[in-house]
Amino acid sequence: MATPLIGISESIERIRELILHVADTRLNILITGETGVGKEVVAQNLYQESQRKDKPFIKVNCAALPDGLLESELFGFERGAFTGADRNKRGKFELAHQGVIFLDEIGDMSPSLQSKLLRVLQSGEFSPLGSEREVRSDAWVIAATNQDLEKNVKERLFREDLYYRLSTIKIYIPALRNRPEDIPPLIDYYIEEYSSEFDRKKIPTPDPDTMEKLKAYSWPGNVRELQNILCRCRVISNWEEIIRDLYPEGRSAAVSRSGEQVFDRDSIFDVFLDFKSEYSQDNASFSLKKITKEAADRVEKEVISSVLDITDWNLTKASKILKISCNTIRYKISDLDIKKQRKYRSLKGARLLMSF
Amino acid sequence: MGEYEIYPAYEDFFEYNGSTEIIRTRKLNRMGQSPKLLIIDDDEHILAKLCYFLSDKNYDVTSASDGLEGMKLFENDQQGFDLVITDIVMPKISGMGLISIIKKRFPDTPVIAITGWGEYPGAFATESQADKVLSKPFELSELEKAINELIFSKRPNVQD
Repeated sequence: MATPLIGISESIERIRELILHVADTRLNILITGETGVGKEVVAQNLYQESQRKDKPFIKVNCAALPDGLLESELFGFERGAFTGADRNKRGKFELAHQGVIFLDEIGDMSPSLQSKLLRVLQSGEFSPLGSEREVRSDAWVIAATNQDLEKNVKERLFREDLYYRLSTIKIYIPALRNRPEDIPPLIDYYIEEYSSEFDRKKIPTPDPDTMEKLKAYSWPGNVRELQNILCRCRVISNWEEIIRDLYPEGRSAAVSRSGEQVFDRDSIFDVFLDFKSEYSQDNASFSLKKITKEAADRVEKEVISSVLDITDWNLTKASKILKISCNTIRYKISDLDIKKQRKYRSLKGARLLMSF
Repeated sequence: MGEYEIYPAYEDFFEYNGSTEIIRTRKLNRMGQSPKLLIIDDDEHILAKLCYFLSDKNYDVTSASDGLEGMKLFENDQQGFDLVITDIVMPKISGMGLISIIKKRFPDTPVIAITGWGEYPGAFATESQADKVLSKPFELSELEKAINELIFSKRPNVQD
């Protein structure tokens, strides 16, 4: 039995409705949406609602195989068609006869295979590799992609006629972040699903505050990411830790008193390898040496600034703590542009001061 | 409504007033009512224009902005539509899909496909058993002519 389509949003309701209306039409269907939204779940639901549900459901990932191999997978080959073809092999189209062939990642199909697929869609016939015989297949074609096929058509990466053939029915599944109302029912469903699978340990239900945070999260990996999170929660049984990991604030760079970011282990990439910064503009300026210098400057600035604040900018005391000369500290203040902060003393700083 | 008689061919659409006098007024369907049309187009502007024009011509017009909505209206209508006008490139259920479904379940319902850009939608509209294909832009009079041809030319002459 297929995973049900979970959700209470208007878009999911409309998809359910569409499935019921078209499941028995055998019309070609194109399912689109970001990765992880559940395109295969929709395909499975179409299949289950159709009269073909007792026939095969064959899935082919068009991105997973090189061109030649994909062709032989889809259409089969005759013995002797190529080196190593020591037997006849039936293709997926033949195996899916009277059932469903689900062509995942259709946007990655090469132009030559697109032509061959088009022919199958037009006539229902194809020839296995190395064969002169025509094979007829009454396979219901459901294709899926996370690519913008209309854009690919404009850029001539995808055949326009094939696009229209495939998209007789179009089902677009919106990203999870655009339908946050579906998150609680999805979580309920997977808690039940995973808890029963490992029934000794039930995943805790998130409290209202946690649920709000989960609903506000951007879910770049969509439902698949949510599934992974629930799998993780099954192991650690702790939503707080999960929320900490989901939110960038929890792991982003700490903000220093001077308002600048200082790094911790998790934020090195954010701070020093920010590809939106100058490094991405000019790759030639990117070097480990430069990053090391920048990191050292930031740490020096932060430390000197802290010590100066603790000592009320008493340069003698500060230099003693830092074990550098007064002249060096003066130079550093000017070079690193260290400015007097408002009165600040941390507990750690106070202890440090007391020791001198 | 009972006093009206209906002529079969579009160019002679007159209504009888019950006597010998012929009045050029309105065309009626087999139920003696204004012909019921279902118009589906995702372009609001075109949809509004078609609805306005055909309502003004005394057709009973129902509209939908995508194929699924159109499909639901078609399936749920008790009395049935006399004719369907549909765009080809639309979200959810395309015009091609819609025509295939309608023709499979209700082969006697005439369908006019109106197509926009590109060579393929036109070709597919023809392939999908549309009774008439009109390419945008078209004259509204051309559409009305096609509607009348399709609704009335298939009907038996009630006078015979």
